[in-house]
Order: sequence, then C-alpha cells, then structure tokens
Amino acid sequence: MSLRPTLIAEIESITRDNDKRMPPLTDDLVLLDTEFDSLCFALLVARMEDQTGIDPFSDLEVADLPVTLGDLVALYERAARPVAA
Amino acid sequence: MNARRTIVVTGGTRGLGLAIATTLAAEGFRAVAVARRPSEAFEAAAAAAGPEAMHFVACDLGETEALQPLVRTIRAEHGPIYGLVNNAAIGTPGLLATMPEREVADLVRLNTLAPILLTKYAVRGMMAAGAGRVVNVSSIIAFTGYNALSVYAATKASMIGFTRSLSREVGRLGVTVNAVAPGFVETAMTEGMDELDRSRIAKRSALQRLPEPQDVADAVAYLVSDKARNVTGTVLTVDAGSTA
Repeated sequence: MSLRPTLIAEIESITRDNDKRMPPLTDDLVLLDTEFDSLCFALLVARMEDQTGIDPFSDLEVADLPVTLGDLVALYERAARPVAA
Repeated sequence: MNARRTIVVTGGTRGLGLAIATTLAAEGFRAVAVARRPSEAFEAAAAAAGPEAMHFVACDLGETEALQPLVRTIRAEHGPIYGLVNNAAIGTPGLLATMPEREVADLVRLNTLAPILLTKYAVRGMMAAGAGRVVNVSSIIAFTGYNALSVYAATKASMIGFTRSLSREVGRLGVTVNAVAPGFVETAMTEGMDELDRSRIAKRSALQRLPEPQDVADAVAYLVSDKARNVTGTVLTVDAGSTA
C-alpha cells in the first residue's frame, strides 16, 4: 500500500493546525519554499511514526534531506519496503 | 485507573530515580522505570503504590540503538508517553589527566548521548499529542567546580544547554522542557565521598544540611504537573542553598 495518501493527509492536517498556507501538493513541490517549516516537518515525522511505525530518518542512512514532496514520498516508501535478508 | 498519564523515569529503580518514580506514582501518574535490572526497593515501592502505578522496563540505556525500540515498547505496553525524566547517569570520578579514555566515553554516552536520543524519540509522541513534559536531571556540578568531576560536570552542563534550546523547539507544541540541578544528595552515587567531604558541603550550605532524594523528587513532580504549565527552559536548583 502506498504511503502517499497518509503523507498527504498528515501534511494537510498539520498545515491546517498550524495556520499555514500551502500550494497544491504536487510531487515537484519544493518543501523548503513553502510555509511548512522545520517544526511542521518534525511533527510530520512524529505523526507518521505514530501511524505507520516507519521513521526513514532513523531507519535509513539519509544523506540528503528530501527536497521535493516526491522525494519525501519516495523516502517513506523505501523505508517501508521489507529489508532483503 | 486509565486516566494515569505515563511518565518514563530512567534509572528509576534506585536512588534519586526511585524517589522520583515513587513520587510521580503517588501524584497519580503511571511511572515507568527504565533500568538494566529491577531492584528489591523498586519492587517494594511498586507493590505499595498499587496496581498500574509503577512499572519496570529493562534496558541498558548505554546501548543507544535500543532507545527507539524502547520507546515503541513503552508506548505499546503503557500508552502514549506524557513525560520523560532523564535521570539515569553515572558519576565516575577521576582526574582528567589519568582517566581512561573509555571511562570518559562511557560517561558521555550514558549521561549525554543516551538522554538526548531517548528524548528525540519520546518527544515525538508529545509533539504529536500537543502536550508533554521533559525533565532532565542535571547537577550543581554543571555550574560549580568540584575536583575530579570534570567529565561528569561536562555531561551535566550539557543537559542544561539541551534543556534550554529544546524548550524553544517544542514549546509551540505545548511541551515543556526543564532541568533540576540537585546538590549532593545522599544516594549510592555519593557513597564514595567521605564523611568529611559530606559534612563540609553541608556546613557550607545556606540551610546547613544536604538535600534528600525526596526534595529532588518533589521538584520533578512540580515540573511535570499541570501547575508548571508556564515553566519551561529553566533549571530548578535543589541543593539546600549550597550554591546560594
């Protein structure tokens, strides 16, 4: 199952709760250029771990933070894949 | 008893940590003590506190890769974590010039790295819930000098810097972060001090005595309580006036 809908729903919910305004959530959206600040981002990671048990920032060696929304979705989907033995 | 909010107390099976866990249980919290092993004193306190009040979870906090799974286990078994008391620490004394590098590293890992990482994972749930409490146990040694405790002092000072900046990070989400700085308290950790040292410190204190574990536990209980909702990023010194 794709994590995209969960991520999008959480981003929308955090945006709403923190009185932020976001452009349409497309894959090429550069997150740093939006009002979704570092605290919102931390909250997103917390809520995603809550809901899915997945924390790509601890589970994977993340060299670069995701730049676009598409990168973020890809990162979560990579972390959700079962690890090959 | 479902209304009990869960507070994790590291090193909660003996000394200061046991006093903190017991006090929080008496204040209506579900105290989850994390340590390598339980103690008879903890078992007795838990039995006296009644069902649901005090629990033990085994973990060697120095094994930092175990910290995220630890938080997940506690959440699964005891519900959302409302508060975290970073109390576990070692107080290895030694002159810096002759202290083995391994002992220095152990002090930093257990007293600084472990609480920072544990907080990282525990505070997420508090952020998501929009409420929570973190209390870091520092020491007056963080801001006053004591011979042969320089590494310990560095780790305890690190808890104060961590407290202040983290309080700014998570304050907007309703999470408070504070430190307590006990003076020399009568516990197993200070057993190594000789009687002369102890009485000298007591004599120098404004109140002419040493604080007890209960005094520190009461300070922690205040900081995690709803009464302290507007207290964050601060250090509460409990030293009977030793540094006054």
